[in-house]
Amino acid sequence: MVKQKLMLGGEVRGWFLTSPYLLYTLVFFILPLVQGIYIAFTNWDLVSTGKEFIGFANFIKAFGSKKVIAAFFATYKFMAIFLAAVMPISLGIALLVNSFPSRFKGLISVAFFLPFLVSSVATSLVVRGVLNYTSPLNHLLRQVLGYVPNWLGDPILAVIVIGLMITWKCSGYYALIFFCGLQTIPKELYEAADIDGASNQKKFWNITIPMLYPAFYTVMIMAVGLMFHIFSEPYMLTDGGPKLSTYTWFLEIYYQSFTNAKVGYGSTVAILNAMTTFITIILVRKLLERWGKAYGWE
Amino acid sequence: MKKSLIYILLLVGILLLALTVPACAEGQKVTFWTLPDPEPAAFWTDSAKDFMAVNPGIQVDVRAIAEAPTSEAVLLTAIAGGTAPTAAGGIFNGFAAQLAEAGAIVPLDSLPGWDELIKNRSMKEAIKAWQFPDGHFYILPIYSNPMLFSWRTDVLKELGVDTPRTYSQVSEVAAKFMEKYPDNFLMAYKRLGSTSWYYRWYDFFPLYEAASDGQPFLMGNEITADDKAAIEVFKFFADLSAAGYLLPRDVPDAFPTKFSIWRPCGPWELPRWAESFPEMEYGESFVVAPPPIPTLGSLASIQHPKTFADAKGYVLLAQGSKEDREAAWEFLKWVLSKPENDLKWAEMTGMLPVRDDLSTNTLFKEFFKQHPELIAYAESIPYAIPALMHSRYADIYLAIGEEGFLPIINGEKTPEQAWQDVKDAIGRIFAE
Repeated sequence: MVKQKLMLGGEVRGWFLTSPYLLYTLVFFILPLVQGIYIAFTNWDLVSTGKEFIGFANFIKAFGSKKVIAAFFATYKFMAIFLAAVMPISLGIALLVNSFPSRFKGLISVAFFLPFLVSSVATSLVVRGVLNYTSPLNHLLRQVLGYVPNWLGDPILAVIVIGLMITWKCSGYYALIFFCGLQTIPKELYEAADIDGASNQKKFWNITIPMLYPAFYTVMIMAVGLMFHIFSEPYMLTDGGPKLSTYTWFLEIYYQSFTNAKVGYGSTVAILNAMTTFITIILVRKLLERWGKAYGWE
Repeated sequence: MKKSLIYILLLVGILLLALTVPACAEGQKVTFWTLPDPEPAAFWTDSAKDFMAVNPGIQVDVRAIAEAPTSEAVLLTAIAGGTAPTAAGGIFNGFAAQLAEAGAIVPLDSLPGWDELIKNRSMKEAIKAWQFPDGHFYILPIYSNPMLFSWRTDVLKELGVDTPRTYSQVSEVAAKFMEKYPDNFLMAYKRLGSTSWYYRWYDFFPLYEAASDGQPFLMGNEITADDKAAIEVFKFFADLSAAGYLLPRDVPDAFPTKFSIWRPCGPWELPRWAESFPEMEYGESFVVAPPPIPTLGSLASIQHPKTFADAKGYVLLAQGSKEDREAAWEFLKWVLSKPENDLKWAEMTGMLPVRDDLSTNTLFKEFFKQHPELIAYAESIPYAIPALMHSRYADIYLAIGEEGFLPIINGEKTPEQAWQDVKDAIGRIFAE
C-alpha cells in the first residue's frame, strides 16, 4: 500500500515536472495542428468571420495545381544539389578544424558557424550583388568566355545558385556536428590501424566514416527536413521563377495565405508539405539505418 | 454589519471610479497604422499631435505598419487575430477589394462629410477611379505615383533625336543608341524578366493604359480590356526584345551610368538619384515622360497619355467600434481638408497627394519650383489609373506575366497567342 502510494506520488511528480513541456506542446503544436487540419477543409479567407466546410475541395485543387507540383519537384532538385554539396563540404570543414591545434579549434569552428547566423535576406542581397550583370565575376566571365550566364534567369542555374547559397549557410553548422562526432572517435582505433599499416585513405573510409554514422544520421535528417522549408532565398532572388523552377512549398503557402488570403487552401498545401516531408524523412531514415546496420550500428 | 456593508460599498464605488476615470480622461482612442517608411510616419505623427491639440476628446495612436514580410500580410494577420487598427494606410485597390469582399472594411461614402471632403480636397475627378463595382468608395486615396518613363536626354541629344513619344520613335532611338554603344541596352531592367505579380505595374500596365486610353481592364468578373491595345503592347515589347534592345537582368544603376537610357520611373527614384548622382541634373541629363503610345491611330495626337498609378490610401476597419471609426474619420477629414497638409505631405515624403488641382493650385507653386522633376508626375495624376480592383488581383497580375508578358520577352509566343492565353488564364481564375 505504501509502495503503491509512493509510486502514485512519483507519477504525479513526473507529470508535474513534465507539464511545462506538455503544455508548450499542446498550445504551440497540437492545437495549431488540429486547427490547421480543420482549416484545410474550409474556405476561410483569413478576414471573414465565417468558415464554410468544403470537404476535400482544397485537396483536389492542390493535386491539380501546377504550382504545388512545381514545389514538389523543386524540393527534390534543391535536395539533390544541397546534399551533394553540403555533405562533403561540411565534413571537409570538420576534418580541417579537427586538424588544427586544440586551442584554435573552438575559434575556427565558430568562424565557420557564422554564416548560419547571417540573415537569409542579407545573404540574398549579397548574392544578388555578386551575380548582377556588371559584377566583377560576370565581367571576368565576359572577358574569358565572352558570355555571361543568366544566373537567376535560367531555370537550371537558378536552382543551383539557391542550392549553393543554402549550402554556404549550413555547411558551418553541419561541420560543427561532424566535428563533435570526430571528437568521439577513440584514438585507439586509428592507432590499431596504424599498427596494421592502414593507409590514410583506408582509415578515412573504414574508421572515420562509419564512426561518424550518428553525425551523418543527424545531419541528413536535418538537411532533408530543411529542403521542405525553403522560403527566404527564392522569395528574395527569384520569387519562384523562372518558370516555377525555384517555386517552393513555403512560397505557395505564403502566397495563398497572405497574398491571396486563401488560408483554407494555404493550410491544405501546408498539410501536403508536412506529409511529403514526413514520408521523405521516413524513407531517408530507412536508407540511413540500412547503411548504419552494415557497420554494426543499431 | 451595517458598518461593514458601508465600507464594502465605498470600496466598490472607489474601484468603479478608478476604472472609469482614466477612460473619461483618455476619450476615444484610435489606432492609426501608417506606411512603414519614416517620412509618412512622421507626417501622420505630427498631424495627430496637431489634431489632438484641438480635439482633446480623441486620442490618435499612430504606428508604422510592419513590413514582415509585407504590410498586407501584417494587416491580414492582425484582422485574423482580432487586433486590427481602426484605420490603416498604404492600401491599394486590389487589397482593398479583398478586404471589402470579406466585409473587413467599411464604405467611406456612407460616413458623414464624405462629399464635403472630396470637394475640400479637390478630388472630384481623381476619386472616380477609386469607385468599387458595388458603387461604394472604400479607400480614401492619399497619394498617387503615376508611372512615367525616364529618358537620358543627354544621350538623346548626342544621338540627335527628341524624347520619343511613339513606339516607332522608341525603336528608332534604340537602334541608334545600340549602334553607337553595342555593349549597352535601351532598357536594362530586372523586372522585365521576373514573375512577381506587381512587376506588371511597371511594364505592361503603363503602356496598356496609354495604348487603350484608359479602357478598364476588368469590370467585376468580366475582362473588358482593349484587345487591340494589349496586343500592340505585347508586340512592342516582343519587337524590342527580339532586336536585343532589352536586358531583363539586374544591372545596378544602369540608368544613372548610361548603361541604359530608358526605364520605368516612379517619383521615389528621384531623391536617390539626386543624392547618389548629383551630376545627373533633371532637364539637362534626363527627363521623365509618359509611356510611349502606338505609332498609328488617333492616340498619336493625345497630349497626355494615360498611365498606371501606384496609388494608395486609407481604409477604416470594420473590426473596431463605430465610435472608434467615427473618431478616425474625424481625424482623416481634419487632416485632408486642409491643402496646407497636402503640401506638408509632399514636402516631407516626396510623394504627390491625390488632388485634381495639384499643378494649378498656387499653394503648390513654390514646391514645384523647387522640385521641377515632379511637375510631370503632378500633371499625370488626372490621367493615372490605379491598380486592378479585384480580390484575385495577385492571380490576375501573375497570369498576365506568366502567360503573356514573360513569354513575349523570351520570344516564346506571338503577341496574339500571348494575349489569348492571358485572357484564358484570367477566365479560369474567375471560373474557380
